[in-house]
Amino acid sequence: MNFIRMKYTKWFNISKDGLSKNNPIMIAVLGICSALAITNQVENALAMGAGVTFVIVGSSAVISIIRNFIPARLRMVTYMVVISSFVILVQMFLEAYFPFIFAALGPYLGLIITNCIVMGRAEAFASKNPIRYTLVDGLANGLGYTYVLVLISIVREALAFGTILNIRVMPEAWTDWVVMAIAPGGFFVLGAIIWIFRELTNNYENA
Amino acid sequence: MVIFVLILGVTTATVLTGMDALTRERIEENQLIVLQDAILEASGITDYDDTISTFEANLEVIEAEGKTFYIDGEGRVSYTFEGLGVWGPIFGVITLEADFETIAWITVIDQEETPGLGGVVEERTYLDNYVGTSMYPELRVSRTADADDINEVDAIAGGTRTSERFEAMLNEAYQAHRDVWLTLQESAGDA
Repeated sequence: MNFIRMKYTKWFNISKDGLSKNNPIMIAVLGICSALAITNQVENALAMGAGVTFVIVGSSAVISIIRNFIPARLRMVTYMVVISSFVILVQMFLEAYFPFIFAALGPYLGLIITNCIVMGRAEAFASKNPIRYTLVDGLANGLGYTYVLVLISIVREALAFGTILNIRVMPEAWTDWVVMAIAPGGFFVLGAIIWIFRELTNNYENA
Repeated sequence: MVIFVLILGVTTATVLTGMDALTRERIEENQLIVLQDAILEASGITDYDDTISTFEANLEVIEAEGKTFYIDGEGRVSYTFEGLGVWGPIFGVITLEADFETIAWITVIDQEETPGLGGVVEERTYLDNYVGTSMYPELRVSRTADADDINEVDAIAGGTRTSERFEAMLNEAYQAHRDVWLTLQESAGDA
């Protein structure tokens, strides 16, 4: 009973939008660059997912709070300033406390700024909705991005290095697939995952 | 509108400056630790807990004419090198035997080359090729390296331009440090 009632709440629908119905990677196909670049190891995918989630939630929240003060002509500029501030915060934090992850993510950390998901949520949701829904939306989209990243990275790390989270999962005789460690491997896995997901959720694009 | 921009600018600048002040010390310490770890590894010291104190106990630091030399217990000398790779700067540390000619160890700390191609430049298995080759009179990174020639090392397959730049930056750093080092040795000999 409770679940059925929950289905009609706004919270539930916003979360569902971000996690599956309008998943940023698999349905909207946004944020693909980073999804290809840093998914060859689960550890990096988790760190990147956490970073992006934090940036989406933080920047959406700030934009939602000040949405009534933002002059229409300065909308995009304001988003960029807020988003880049949050990205720099994440960058400094990781460089100070997790230098190895910082080194592994390299330039892609700074490129969170250009991740379309962040800008997309700011414009499509945060600028029109009160903060309590914006927080749910940001979190749902961030997690929607993160779990797809983690799925891709599990497949890639297992095939490319024979490990998951640096723990050996493949038999000793396993030959590493170098192609999975570089970007083309990411394309194959991402394509397959999008295909499976859309097949399962009956999501077809009208020609 | 102007007021909005001003408030936005001041607020974000304050937040970022604050965060910078909070993290700067740790970031600088991390970068120092990475460099010291690399130099300690070159000296064969790998079993330790605290990098900074181990480093201070085992290595002597000499600064002269803007160049820094790190000398370990066996007389091996390390110095840092940097230069432009294909896509971005390459930074690393090289350790030479006491003769200041033979390479004992190289570590690349930072690079932004193409992963899988030029990016191989930071891999230990590739850098191991350099051990035992001589920087004097000049190092040559070549596609047709002669194993018997002590000045030649194999280039990276698929990373020719990275190899060329790496060769150039190693030679440049060597020339610059060699002069200072020889002067240092002479003055030490006089005294």
